[in-house]
Parts: sequence; structure tokens; C-alpha cells
Amino acid sequence: MTATDVGHPRTGTSGGGAMATCVFAVLRTGGRQAPALTPGHAGGGAVGLLPLPGGDLQAVVQDVPAADFTQEALRRRLGDPLELERCARAHHAVITAAAAGGAVVPLPLATLFTASGRASAALADRRDRILDVLDRVEGRAEWAVKVHVAQHAPAPPAADGKDPAAAPGRPGAGAAYLARVRGRERDRQARHEALLRVAGRVHEAAAAHAVAAVRRTPHGTAITGKDRPQVLNAAFLVDDSRATDLVAAVRALGGAHAGLDVHVEVSGPWVPYSFTSLGEEP
Amino acid sequence: MTAGGDVVPWLGPDSGAPLGVPLVDLLDRVLATGVVISGDLVIAIADVPLVRLSLHALLASVSERVPAPWSDGGPL
Repeated sequence: MTATDVGHPRTGTSGGGAMATCVFAVLRTGGRQAPALTPGHAGGGAVGLLPLPGGDLQAVVQDVPAADFTQEALRRRLGDPLELERCARAHHAVITAAAAGGAVVPLPLATLFTASGRASAALADRRDRILDVLDRVEGRAEWAVKVHVAQHAPAPPAADGKDPAAAPGRPGAGAAYLARVRGRERDRQARHEALLRVAGRVHEAAAAHAVAAVRRTPHGTAITGKDRPQVLNAAFLVDDSRATDLVAAVRALGGAHAGLDVHVEVSGPWVPYSFTSLGEEP
Repeated sequence: MTAGGDVVPWLGPDSGAPLGVPLVDLLDRVLATGVVISGDLVIAIADVPLVRLSLHALLASVSERVPAPWSDGGPL
């Protein structure tokens, strides 16, 4: 299905430049259904299957122009939002299509080898780990749970701007100012703790239905919107049979909590990107 | 962004065209995928500083296009 030549950078048929092998994912051979194959990265050859030594694993690979994937070229391309989006979507499309053939271990975006032979040797070295991960994710999917809180704008500290200058000579002004500052700090703390509690509850509710969980740093308000802080950004590895339970459980937690308006978003099923690390250092 | 905490369906493997996936959700996963296996040509996305820079540009554009939940610091 794909070039299986073992060798050194080849010459592409179209551009005439050296080609490299991009590996998207690894999966078992002999699934009930053949993995579907999508076009992959622009400018590359057809996406195909590379059998790995041992016969029971195969990699989803594509020949891509090496010049597009040098460190320099990547810095340029991934610095361009449109190009980064294009790369990420192409990568995701290949991996999700391949998952039609069974559980997959997705490899990170732009995992490249100078030749397919090098790719298959590197993957063969990690064979045990790959098989473990495949066993772990078989029949399971990743579900993402995010929680946002609609924050009712705290009463604006009306005199805020003027405080430091407020009647410096008047007795008690300094103490009153400090008391206000302390009060605001207390409110802020209380709100913060309430947010953490909500995030914790949703996380626990989801985790009860999952076999593994990953909690990421919530995204900031620059992206979510000023009055809509994200308090939970988590991913769960879930047995397919329990997915609807997880969804129902976390959605039930949306709504009002101690004065906070909680929005729960669930998305999935995803290929288990967050649970398939092969644990390699670069 | 979905209303009221609905499940966000992405077009599954059958569609072969997961263009419906919100970009922020996609990047959250794709760019968080472990660490690169030791490819012998280029180790791309694990080069965190490089990607962070790119993400800031991308995320800024994401938030302009769709007010979507996403990162200050990127998923990495």
C-alpha cells in the first residue's frame, strides 16, 4: 500500500526534492475493518500502511517533502495560524480515519523519519510499549470535559482609583482603606475557592466513570472571554459502554452552584490522544 | 462553542472529514500528544518554545473568529 523501501531520502516524483516519512499512528493489523485513509499533509504522497516487523502492527505513514518539515520550515509554517490549523487538521483527519481499523496509538504531529525503514526500526524498538498502550485503549475513547463559570461581575470597588488619595489627613482614612482592601481580597479568595470546588466536583463526577484522567491547566480569559473563566479542562479515558454515563453525570452538574453559573461542556469520543504517550524523551 | 453543555459531536471516523471539530478542542489534543518518538529527521512539536510562540498567534486568531474556550499558555 505504501512504499516500504528501506533507504535514504528519496526523490519525490513531483517536486524533485528529498522525501521524508511522516508517521501518524500505529495500530494492529487484521482489524475487522481496514483503516480508512485520508489525504494527509499537503504536498505529500498517498497515505498508506507500513507493516512493522512482527507482522501484528502497522503504521500509518505518508511520504512528505523533507524540505517542508525541517526545523526551520516548521518554525515558519507552525508560526502561521492558517498553516498550523491545516497541519493539525490533516494530522487529526488521518488519525481518526485510521481508527476505523481499531485502536490506534497516535504519534505526535510531525513525527518524521528520513525513510520508512528508519520509521519501522524506531517503532519496532517500542513495540512492547505500543502493544501495552493498544491494550489499554482498546474499546475506550477519550472524552473532554470543560467547565466555565459565568462570573457575575464583582461589585466594582467604586472608590478604587481614588483610594490612595482619599483624604489623607482624615483620621481613620488609612484604616478604612486597608479594611476595604482586605475585604476585597477575602471576596476574591472565597470566589476562587468556590471555583476550585466546582471544578473538583465535576472532575470527580467524570472520573468516577473513567479509567484514567488528565487535568490540564485551564485556559485563560484571553481565549474564553473575560467574564467566562475556565475552571476545568480535563480529559478522561472512558470505556465505550460507560460514555453515556459520564456525559450524563457531568451535565447534571451544570447550572447554579453557590451563586456561580456553571457551564459544562463535554466533547467526544476522541481518539485517546491524551492517554497514548509512548513516554519518550525527544 | 455549544449551547448548554451539549455533547459536541465531531464527525467521526466514518466521515473522514473531521472539519467540524472546534479548532481549540483539536489543538488541545493534537498538540498535547505525548512527546515525539525519536524521529531521526525532525522532532517537531515537542520543541515547546517554538510551538508556544505559534500557539499564541493561533489562539489570538481563534478567539477573534469564534469566541471559544482556550488557552493562555497553550496546551503544552
